[in-house]
Amino acid sequence: MNPNDVKADRRYLASLARESGGAAWPRPSLALLDAAAAAGFALALTLVLTQRAPPLALLGLTLALVVRALAGWGRARLAARRALKVKSAVRARVLRAALRRRRGDEAALGETTAAAVDEVEALGGYFSLYEPAQVESRLTPIAIAAAVACASPIAAGLLLLTLAPFAFVMAVAGGAAGAAAGRQLEALARLSGQFVDRVRALPVILAFQAEARETEDVAEAAREVSRRTLSVLRVAFISSAALEFFSALAVALVAVYAGFGLLGLLPFKTPETLDFPRTFFALALAPEFYAPLRRLAGAYHEKQLGEAAVSRLRPLLERQAEPAPALSTLDGPPLVSLDGAALTFGDVEIGPVDALFPAGGLSAIVGPTGSGKTSLLAAILGLTPLTSGTVRVNGLNLEDAGGFADVAAWAGQSAVFLPGTLTDNLMAAAPGVTADQALDMARRVGLGPALDRRAQGGDTPLDERGSGLSGGERRRLALARALLKPVPLLLLDEPTADLDAAAEAEIIALILDAAGTRTIIVATHAEVLAAAAQTVVRLA
Amino acid sequence: MSPKALVSSSPVRAFLAVEVRRRRPELIAAALAGAVTAASATLLLGLSGWFLAGAALAGAGGPAAIAAFNYLLPSAGFRALALGRTAGRYGERLLGHQAALKALAELRPALFSGLAAGPPERSLALSSGEASARLVQDVAAVETAFVRRSAPWGAMAAAGSGAAVIALASPAAAVAFLIGLAAQILIGRGLAKRLTDEAGRDGLRAAGRLKDGLNAYALASAELRCFDLVEPAVRALMVHDAELGRAGLRRDDGQAVLGLLQAAVTAVTVVMVAALAAHGPMALAALAVLATLAGLDGAAGLVAAAQQDGAYREAVERLDEAAAATPAADPRPIDRNTPITLDGHRLAAGERIALVGPSGCGKTRTFEALLGLRTAPAGRLRLGETPLESLPIGAARPLLAHAPQDARLLTGTVAENLRLGRPDADDDAFWAVLEDAQLAARVRRLPEGLDSWIGDGGEQLSGGERRRLSLARALLRDAPWLLLDEPTEGLDAHTEAALVAALDARLTRTGQGALIISHRPAPLRLCGTTIDVDGRP
Repeated sequence: MNPNDVKADRRYLASLARESGGAAWPRPSLALLDAAAAAGFALALTLVLTQRAPPLALLGLTLALVVRALAGWGRARLAARRALKVKSAVRARVLRAALRRRRGDEAALGETTAAAVDEVEALGGYFSLYEPAQVESRLTPIAIAAAVACASPIAAGLLLLTLAPFAFVMAVAGGAAGAAAGRQLEALARLSGQFVDRVRALPVILAFQAEARETEDVAEAAREVSRRTLSVLRVAFISSAALEFFSALAVALVAVYAGFGLLGLLPFKTPETLDFPRTFFALALAPEFYAPLRRLAGAYHEKQLGEAAVSRLRPLLERQAEPAPALSTLDGPPLVSLDGAALTFGDVEIGPVDALFPAGGLSAIVGPTGSGKTSLLAAILGLTPLTSGTVRVNGLNLEDAGGFADVAAWAGQSAVFLPGTLTDNLMAAAPGVTADQALDMARRVGLGPALDRRAQGGDTPLDERGSGLSGGERRRLALARALLKPVPLLLLDEPTADLDAAAEAEIIALILDAAGTRTIIVATHAEVLAAAAQTVVRLA
Repeated sequence: MSPKALVSSSPVRAFLAVEVRRRRPELIAAALAGAVTAASATLLLGLSGWFLAGAALAGAGGPAAIAAFNYLLPSAGFRALALGRTAGRYGERLLGHQAALKALAELRPALFSGLAAGPPERSLALSSGEASARLVQDVAAVETAFVRRSAPWGAMAAAGSGAAVIALASPAAAVAFLIGLAAQILIGRGLAKRLTDEAGRDGLRAAGRLKDGLNAYALASAELRCFDLVEPAVRALMVHDAELGRAGLRRDDGQAVLGLLQAAVTAVTVVMVAALAAHGPMALAALAVLATLAGLDGAAGLVAAAQQDGAYREAVERLDEAAAATPAADPRPIDRNTPITLDGHRLAAGERIALVGPSGCGKTRTFEALLGLRTAPAGRLRLGETPLESLPIGAARPLLAHAPQDARLLTGTVAENLRLGRPDADDDAFWAVLEDAQLAARVRRLPEGLDSWIGDGGEQLSGGERRRLSLARALLRDAPWLLLDEPTEGLDAHTEAALVAALDARLTRTGQGALIISHRPAPLRLCGTTIDVDGRP
């Protein structure tokens, strides 16, 4: 991965947190409170030792520990809420981008779903575990050094001095070597995925009696994963060792300096007076100096997951919003013309297509599976980008209009609904549609028997996919919705698929009835429907 | 390791036990290194406290006391402990991971062959995304537990060395320290699951609903745009997001409470040790309180391991259930000409038979039973004279080449998928079956032809193309019977006609028989015989 990308991802994570994470001040305040409580603890411990456990000192010790426990609890709860806010805000943006996206191939859809659910979840650990640890790792060592300085400025100076070599070692271990490790990890992810893939394909592997060979493949990939992971870890563990070394060094330096100072054996003259309570206070705080950095290292996995997630989310979120359609009304059914319109869908090239779809007429786009009928239909609305040529509606160029979705109605192959009742869904077709109009239209498209059969009639609840309705009923419902929108351009994608001959004839009659006041373009396999059309465009 | 090693009351535990034995030297070294690290950290802080108090006393006692104070030994101790802590940590991490990674490289193939040899319905259940995702999570949980094997040893070293030096100041304080540690471990074991498990399950369910909803809406972006439904759809989906968020918050809050409880136990322990040790000599008291702090810190690994223990046990149980292998089937070769009898019809070699019946009557299940992907129903299928159900699972597989309804492709290249049909086939054979499956032109357009990567489960191909590749794979297999389940579903009339004609020519040429399920007329026209399936489960 390019180091610049990693930096951009980190900046992007920070901006996400700023925009949607809510107030930032409680976290540093809690970190400082925790550091203060640590200092109070060290002070109370010193008093316990030097004054033989007076009750007040023991009480102070207890109090300091309780404050630390509560600070940790509060920090965890705050971080969880902040993570929740960021996740929800990002998810809303991803969903919006996913639903507004131009049509792509199925693979892109899988990635989008993964992005909206799994990748956004991966941000959770970043904001609930890594980020608080990061805030703490920046503030707490300084705060601890400041507390130590109250007792012994030189001990505090010694602690701070260890930071420079520590940072250097971490940069070396995490820099070039880390980047190499990152590249390895990507290859590793692919190899690790092989196991689950073969498990999913087990029925096929068994049917082809390939289990022995595939087991060998799984074993080989697993061995390769283990070998390569180990070579990555050899480098990665240098940083754990360094952390351990500097944690030990911090304690040892303070102990040696203070001990020899108390003995008066230091080779230089200290500008400060050393006594046992002061030095013990410094020593009791010394382990706290590197503790937040060790916690930060503990959250390294969350950091990696979060950064990996954002590097995949960023292109989706940063994609420019499409311009809002400028065309708001059409007077009467429009003439739609394609002039050398070409597009690509996945790796299928469609067109160039020249066609005139007459105003107020029924036109059909036909062609074999995968020839791009749906894509061409979507291109007329501006939902699939053209690679060349033009689409015009009443002479207005698609590029200038920004899209024709506003002035068109659509009934697609897989109709979707909003959670709500059947009537609600029809009323959502356009503002101002009443329940009566909606039910009336439902009966006109032949949903009467379906409504009568159901106890709740028009109040039958629907989920996204219209579960509970048959395929034919869903298609009719989608058609009713399209006819309810008062616009003169109607695009229908396979309106008669899955229907028997009688139902097909009924729907064709409905479509022909709607033509005249509307320009209707259908994409279809059905010869009967194509035969009823005035204009037929064939895709190869 | 052979699949047989998985036969035991808990095959996964047995497997891990074998691996632990094999990796014993590395694991012992890792545990020792972990113990050195933790003990060094504990002793370093304790020694520092003792050294400081001793130096303060000697400093106050005048030049003679200073001269008598042996500071060389503690200084050497500091160096040794700092070094021990650093080297120990690196060694523990590396050796522990090395042993774990080598052992676990064997876990996946062992599980896989266990799954393959297991009861037939299981493999079908695992082909769903959720079941296989669960399996992968469980494997990961077992792997994590294996990697963490050295953590308890390090933690015990921290506890042991801590208790030992605290006991120098006050045996009672050492007991208090150990009781505190035990309480933390018990809290971790007992509460971690209860506080977070249910929330985790709710979260998974909400994530599933969110994915389903988004998949439905994303396929209909044109409708959403035309009816201005994008924002309402986002709002409808964000209801699932809120459920998912609430579940996550419950889990995180549960963890926060756990942290709070453990911090409370730490507080009680530290105060007890301080109160009990403070009455001894100051140097030893300083040693004791600082060793307590370091000891509790070092034992954090044990507490974390205790928290994950429940998840680990559950994962092992589920894996045991998944991978418990029945003894491997008898590999006795079967005569290619063994006749198959289906519902009383003895299938003649080269016959083409349509399986018909209303949807849901069990046509696909009949195929799966023949293939040994589910238990054969009693009395319906025979191989030769023997009822299929009394033969080893999958006995009929050598006779069959299957193109299933759900075309499951391997993640890999076109050629890798075809090779499943015949491992030793050459490119010419590949192209021949691709031609027959009406997919050759498409594959030729792919950037690297046969060697093109077709993505996760073949996702870079369309649904119809995946189905045709699956068909090509079945055509490549040298078996007397083709089982075709909806071979032309989703194809346009022209492609369907070409495919059916190619199939006809191929079957005539090879003399292969075929069993065909289809609700479309064209493929059924290939068939001379019809069997009405009534295989209600």
